[in-house]
Amino acid sequence: MSRIPLRPLARILEARSKGENPDVIERENIRQRHEEMQDRARARAEGRLLVLGVFFFCAFSVVGARMGLLATSEAQEPLASAQGANIATQRADIVDREGRILATNFETHSLYAQPPLMVDPVAAAAGLAQVFPDLDKERLIKDFTGKRKFIWIKKRISPEQKQAVHDIGDPGLLFGPREMRLYPNGMLAAHVLGGAGFGKEGVNAAEVIGVAGVEKQFDGYLRDPANGAKPLKLSLDLTVQAAAERVLLGGMKIMNAKGASSVLMNVHTGEVISVASLPAFDPNDRPRPPTSGFDPSDSPLFNRAVQGVYELGSVYKIFTAAQAVDLGLVNSETVIDTSGPMRIGGFPIGEFRNKNYGKLSVADIIVKSSNRGTGRLAMQIGSKRQQDFLNSLGMFDPTPFEIVEAQGGQPLFPKQWGELSTVTISYGHGLSTSPMHLAAGYAAIANGGHYVSPTILRQKGPQYGPRVMSPTAARQARKMLRKVVTSGTASFGEVPGYAVGGKTGTADKPKPRGGYYEDKVIATFATLFPAHDPKYVLVVTLDEPSILAYGKKRRTAGWTAVPVAAEMIGRIAPLLGLRPEVEPGETAGITLTSN
Amino acid sequence: MSYLEYTVKSTPTGLRKVFYMNWALTVLLMSVAGVGFLMLYSVAGGSFTPWAEPQMKRFALGLAVMMFVAMVPIWFWRNMAVVAYLISIILLISVEFFGTVGMGAQRWIDIGFMRLQPSELMKITLVMLLAAYYDWLPGNKTSRPFWVLIPVIMILFPTFLVLRQPDLGTSILLMAAGGGLMFLAGVHWAYFAAVIAAGVGLVTAVFQSRGTEWQLLKNYQYRRIDTFLDPSSDPLGAGYHITQSKIALGSGGWTGRGFMQGTQSRLNFLPEKHTDFIFTTLAEEFGFVGGFSLLGLYSLIILFCITTALATKDRFSSLVTLGISINFFLFFAVNMSMVMGLAPVVGVPLPMVSYGGSAMLVLMVAFGLVQSAHIHRPRLGS
Repeated sequence: MSRIPLRPLARILEARSKGENPDVIERENIRQRHEEMQDRARARAEGRLLVLGVFFFCAFSVVGARMGLLATSEAQEPLASAQGANIATQRADIVDREGRILATNFETHSLYAQPPLMVDPVAAAAGLAQVFPDLDKERLIKDFTGKRKFIWIKKRISPEQKQAVHDIGDPGLLFGPREMRLYPNGMLAAHVLGGAGFGKEGVNAAEVIGVAGVEKQFDGYLRDPANGAKPLKLSLDLTVQAAAERVLLGGMKIMNAKGASSVLMNVHTGEVISVASLPAFDPNDRPRPPTSGFDPSDSPLFNRAVQGVYELGSVYKIFTAAQAVDLGLVNSETVIDTSGPMRIGGFPIGEFRNKNYGKLSVADIIVKSSNRGTGRLAMQIGSKRQQDFLNSLGMFDPTPFEIVEAQGGQPLFPKQWGELSTVTISYGHGLSTSPMHLAAGYAAIANGGHYVSPTILRQKGPQYGPRVMSPTAARQARKMLRKVVTSGTASFGEVPGYAVGGKTGTADKPKPRGGYYEDKVIATFATLFPAHDPKYVLVVTLDEPSILAYGKKRRTAGWTAVPVAAEMIGRIAPLLGLRPEVEPGETAGITLTSN
Repeated sequence: MSYLEYTVKSTPTGLRKVFYMNWALTVLLMSVAGVGFLMLYSVAGGSFTPWAEPQMKRFALGLAVMMFVAMVPIWFWRNMAVVAYLISIILLISVEFFGTVGMGAQRWIDIGFMRLQPSELMKITLVMLLAAYYDWLPGNKTSRPFWVLIPVIMILFPTFLVLRQPDLGTSILLMAAGGGLMFLAGVHWAYFAAVIAAGVGLVTAVFQSRGTEWQLLKNYQYRRIDTFLDPSSDPLGAGYHITQSKIALGSGGWTGRGFMQGTQSRLNFLPEKHTDFIFTTLAEEFGFVGGFSLLGLYSLIILFCITTALATKDRFSSLVTLGISINFFLFFAVNMSMVMGLAPVVGVPLPMVSYGGSAMLVLMVAFGLVQSAHIHRPRLGS
């Protein structure tokens, strides 16, 4: 690279000789050199600029390509997110033991408005008021013409309503998909299923959460997408449940009871085949919990079979008798003096209608339901052993039944378990349990002496818990129970073709402030069938029944709960696949020998 | 004495300067601003308030300022570069003490009629200072370590101040623009290679530091980066902006839903819909065609700036014009990338379109400099 000399000697000398100012040459050369330098810098800068230009072009291309890509993409709302926690995932179905649907999901729509998009807010309001009579037109107009940009109108609408709203044709009325829990069987097994409500709500989805029953108990399982929407299989049998509820409702009405419950349980597996509580509700449209001033235990939401704890009365006598046999204190033929008077701690122990049965065998104590006889057995057993036995039957804790309400069924028992308590509890007073507890206790007698815990889930095979009594004691107790039906207080319990054993219980209802009502009872019939080899336990309870029969008001279980239970067994035993043990009457004139 | 002043005589004087302005560039600026007014009108639900009208006033003011800056000879601005830079630095420091806290960051100084964002001003004054520096520096010293260190300090000091506000987006833009200018000035490429290598190392360090007690960024910044890397992981949380704007772009399709018909952007699905995310409204209402046209307008502005830079033989004019182009380019490229999920959400407005006073005024001043360089360029043979 040759630089231009600032003062080239030859030219300067030449200029000087011509008399010109040589500075002109120098200045000119400075300018040229500067320009040259500038040109080099520019050449370099232009090279750099080219690099930058390429970079710019690449950036433009990327941004433009991305724009094109997004423009062609389908606008899609995000389906799930870490924070929103799977708002739109499917909740698993709930099915009965045969796989029949008890709870499933249903696509509905929610309706909301965006007033800024509305073409004619007034017409839209009028149209809506016509489709939904419960909406106030004036209020809607006020909302739609106000400043609000988003208004919920209905959280759930039917397809017909959706079409009707669609026909209003206002672009400001918008629908969001909404999954909703559907109970296709309506009120059937309402207390078991409980119900579901909406958790987090968005325009495009709402989270369905269980609010009661198995829906709440198994909420985590039902919502867990990892289960692949595998249905939750319950132990319930839909047909048996339907029959049981129907009979129970009819029985409750005939017996003028204000409430009723029934529990049907497999004595080997602990599976609850049917459990009903009346009055019931429709889980599709769950009523609000009762407000104050109203007894919550009278609410349809209250599960009498599981939550309700009652003094169930004489049905407990069989436990006393079974324990006495188990301990070897007596056998079913041992004679006990049941004559009065009998006073424990100054408190008289009387019989029903002040009868005096005299000397009775243990079996007859159960058959005639003698309070004094049972009490004397209990005094032989003693307080400690009685408590241990009842505890082993699960009578002191809430049942492990898998619906959330079961936790509410905490039994009530005296803190000071003295002699009086021992005697009264031996015939079912002073200890309050739920019918579910009672069913579990009877199941132990029925299955030969094992405790089984009641469950709502389908089981595979027997689920025996610890042994609570000897098979002999259980067998003798079953015989006594059978005798109660054949010749005792439960004579209305005889079902053609099915040998039923059971024990009645009629307990005066306690007053809220102490003492007992004279005219309000809880009538219970706890049964097992078929009596010689029981497979099922059925407990039927009626709340405040009363019926006019033979010119008298009757409240005892023998007149109320027993016929209802008998009717129920007659209906459900064939559904359970139990063969009748007697020949049915000839239905047609054709027999094998008729030709 | 730079080359420029040798040829002063050939430049126009007085009111004649108006005719020598780069009018094509002016028209382009006006059309981009016009797009901005339309969009602001639309996002306000078809109303000039609260955004379109003030924006128009500001643009009018900006035009006047641009004219003024353009009339003043470019060498005056070159001589003012150091002063302007120092004023910006002082303002940046005073933001630390007197600034208004807005959205978790201290960025503004309230000066009565408008809120000034010194970091915006810094973008231009930094370019001016660097251009003046390289105009002054003899070409053969450009790549010497000492003379490289000086501009690096000039860049890093304001960057540090902006980062303290904290405004990650602007500090990155400052560094990028300053670096770009040094590159154009002809600093040896080995320096850039070294810086890029160091940058990669720093990024690694930043991610390694996460969760430790010497964590280098705020948690929200980490989350933004995470969200950038995988926005679908959190579409309703930190990734909400991007997800919603992508939906808007998708729903716009090729030709858009029509003016004022965008639902995503008008229904408050998008916060910041009148500022950083205004592009989504445009893309939804005018579709790919609209978005690409805006990109085209921006490209033309850059192109005109580059031709101005090439047309002038003066180093300062050329570098300042290119520096402004880089700044402008970074503005819209980062904003568009951010909206379309190509870059983290760093809070960079769409130039001339987003609602905002400081950014627009500063840009108009910058284009005033470009115009001045254009008017006062040395002309041969006149």
